[in-house]
Amino acid sequence: MKKISLLVLCLILFYSCRKDEINYDGPGIAEQYSEFKLLQPFARDRDSVDFAAGQKVTFSAKFNKLVNWTITITGQNSNARKILTGISRTIDVTNGTWNGSTTVFPMFRNEPVKAALFIENVQDTFRLTSVIKQIKNNPGVTIADFENGFNTGWVKFIQSGAKMDFTIKSDLLAPQGLKYLNMAGEVNWDWLIGMIDFPASAYGTGNTFPLPSNPDGIYFNCLIYGVQGTNETLVLFQFKEDENGDGTIDPNSDDEYDYQINVNWTGWKLISVKYSDLPCLSNGQPTTPKGNAQHNPDKIGKISMLDLANPADGYASCKIDYIIFTESRLEP
Amino acid sequence: MNKFFLPIFFFLITGFITGTTAQERRAIEMVGGARSFISNNNINVGDITPDTTTVKRNTGGYALIDLGIDIAPAKNVEILGMFRITNNYGGFWGAGVSFDVRQLWLKGIISDVVRYQLGDLNLKQTPFTLYNPHADRPDSLPDIFKLQNEIIDYEKFYMSNTWRSQGANVDFGINVTKWIKQLNFNGYLARLNATDFASVPDRLMGGVTAEVVQSSHLSLQYNGFWVFDVKGTVNDSNWYRNSVNSIAANYTTGVGKQKLTVHAEAGKSHLVQTGDESNSLLDDYFIHAEGGFQIPASNLGFTAGYLNVGPDFRSVGAQSKDINYSASPDFYNRYTNAQVVRPLSMMDVVRDDMLYKTSVTSELMTINPLYNNITPYGMATFNRQGVYGGVAWKWSKGIAIQARFDYMSEIRGQGTFSLKNMTRSKLYTTIDMDELTGYQKRFKIHGGVDYQTTMRNSDMAVENVDLKTWQYQAGLEFEFIRNIEFLFGIMDSYTKGNDFIAYRDKYSKVEVFDPMTVEVNQFYPAAGLRFRFLKDHAYLSAIYQSCQWTDYLENTADYDINQFALIFNMTF
Repeated sequence: MKKISLLVLCLILFYSCRKDEINYDGPGIAEQYSEFKLLQPFARDRDSVDFAAGQKVTFSAKFNKLVNWTITITGQNSNARKILTGISRTIDVTNGTWNGSTTVFPMFRNEPVKAALFIENVQDTFRLTSVIKQIKNNPGVTIADFENGFNTGWVKFIQSGAKMDFTIKSDLLAPQGLKYLNMAGEVNWDWLIGMIDFPASAYGTGNTFPLPSNPDGIYFNCLIYGVQGTNETLVLFQFKEDENGDGTIDPNSDDEYDYQINVNWTGWKLISVKYSDLPCLSNGQPTTPKGNAQHNPDKIGKISMLDLANPADGYASCKIDYIIFTESRLEP
Repeated sequence: MNKFFLPIFFFLITGFITGTTAQERRAIEMVGGARSFISNNNINVGDITPDTTTVKRNTGGYALIDLGIDIAPAKNVEILGMFRITNNYGGFWGAGVSFDVRQLWLKGIISDVVRYQLGDLNLKQTPFTLYNPHADRPDSLPDIFKLQNEIIDYEKFYMSNTWRSQGANVDFGINVTKWIKQLNFNGYLARLNATDFASVPDRLMGGVTAEVVQSSHLSLQYNGFWVFDVKGTVNDSNWYRNSVNSIAANYTTGVGKQKLTVHAEAGKSHLVQTGDESNSLLDDYFIHAEGGFQIPASNLGFTAGYLNVGPDFRSVGAQSKDINYSASPDFYNRYTNAQVVRPLSMMDVVRDDMLYKTSVTSELMTINPLYNNITPYGMATFNRQGVYGGVAWKWSKGIAIQARFDYMSEIRGQGTFSLKNMTRSKLYTTIDMDELTGYQKRFKIHGGVDYQTTMRNSDMAVENVDLKTWQYQAGLEFEFIRNIEFLFGIMDSYTKGNDFIAYRDKYSKVEVFDPMTVEVNQFYPAAGLRFRFLKDHAYLSAIYQSCQWTDYLENTADYDINQFALIFNMTF
């Protein structure tokens, strides 16, 4: 009998080794198969919002299970859209906050907006309305938003090709504000259709733009619209540094960094690049800068924007707006 | 090629026997078996639109002979080589004929102490280390089904819960005079799969059992079981390993004229795929304790046990299933106009050896809740704890009854914190009517009932599970003329309810739970005649059987398969 008792004691000791079960195996069945229920209605924390003052709109809702949700906020005048998505049981400040930014251009204006909550595999849509009293500010150094026409300090060169249209437009396509620059035409003898130099002197800030010195802390951004069915446009930005600050940019002793954009999409698209990531290009190929070979955004003296296209391919067209330096990637 | 090879083969065998017999120093024995199976089948499909696509009639069969030469070239050495010649009916002048090596082993004894065997091995340790539990097979079958089941056993080398492998086995025992009576050791190493020299490494299976027999009352045992990849057999430094280590104790004592036995085993398992430890690592343990009490005077025995197998306990050797529900049956594997896969019926499970596996499988195999939802991987089924009890009684007049009740529950929830509770109640009886009535020839009646329930009650109704399966069987063997028997049997299974089927990744972790709602009835009657001869080493049997699959929820199309089969079977 002692032997049996010893055996049972050993088994009990062995049994006590198992860790408590604190979870279950596999995905939750209730999450997968229960019927959807809205436990807390779709709501927002304010009726009107001043994004310029740093206000935000927080949406909220609670569900009985994990769902794949999408909130689409649509500007009633601009038709701008912001899309928030998530997979969760709740929508709250951690995943349902809108800071006034845009997902689908144009950017929001001071206008009423409607927010719609869509739940995957659920027929019902939940809707709210709100008003933007003031759109969000994007702190940074604006090079061009074309709202006030061409700056007299800018230097333009436009080829005399066919169907040339290198003008500022004001129509519903404007992604920011009311105006944008249209760049279109057919030049069958040269890649260059037109170009604009943006010298620092045009902004009254001396020989260089008022940018910080850290190239990792500054982003160059712009919005570019690709036109369907036209020749692929290349937009080339040249960032010319005046390293000795003498007001003259010497191509043989000053650095130049470049950013070439192949406009191979349709519609507006945000272009955003860190200044330290910009290469130096020669005929589209990377090369060694001629100056100190260091990215010095605080020494940029001139920015040139070239609108290029293959002369053999015919008519090319694109649009551009909101050329701006920001300290982080632009959230328009 | 075969028509030339066969005469040469017989010539060599005959010559060898003659030559060796003349020397009268070596023993040679021919062993083997022969079987012929001819069947005529037809299927009726009860789909909404008439099935005009499936070919309804199927006739075929085969004849085979297993020829083994058992040679004892020396006193302590024995060699067996067995060839199989199969001819599918309809083959002509060699077409449809195959010639295979069925068995090859060599065994012997070194210095009258160490026994060894090389080649084919039948291996078994404990129900948690290496064991073929035949988990979905009813405990007792009427003879008309049993004779078909025995063909599967023969084909797949199933011998009292063994698995077939190729490798080496060694065992020896040492008698000790003081404190302990005997030390026994057994070890084996077998190959599970061979490398393809690209991505599949050589995978081996090894095991050790060391037993200390303290007295006729008490023995202790250590069991080790390992499956592992051999490094360097592919250009991949990662490897798979599954190990199970257990200790077991057996205690037997007399209580008056009664006999008390206690068996207990506990152990741990470890499974890992290096390079992917975070996804593959599984460690857990099991405990099993069982007590038995026999009253010889009344032919009565009681059993009670406790089982606890952790949710992460993995044992390739003990959790491999003999039946592969993903395999295709040998005929009518698709049906209806859409040619969907036909759900396997009891008739397939009872008679189709194509569905069964010979050796263990590294990946966890699919279960079928229609047959066993409680312990689908046998006693080593992971994530189970509970108790069971049984009683067996045999009346001297030839009536034997066995009953068993299992109550199990999960240890860890599956897709929920709520746990499933499972019960299984079994009752089998065999009545030897010849003993009971004094009838001079064979006359036996079988009966059995098996009832399984699986329940889960949760606060969330969608997580609830309620699945019940009734199985019953009955049969008789009535020898109305000497050596000629009338056989009859019937099996019926009714499953109704819902559960969730777990689909697992290659490391056996659950990826998704698929809801299953069923109400299926399977009705499987069979009748036939059997003529026994050659002192029961051979029989010729004619069977007519039918299996009707009825799906009340119309998830699958109803069907019934009818088969007439002529079976000749002989062993020598």
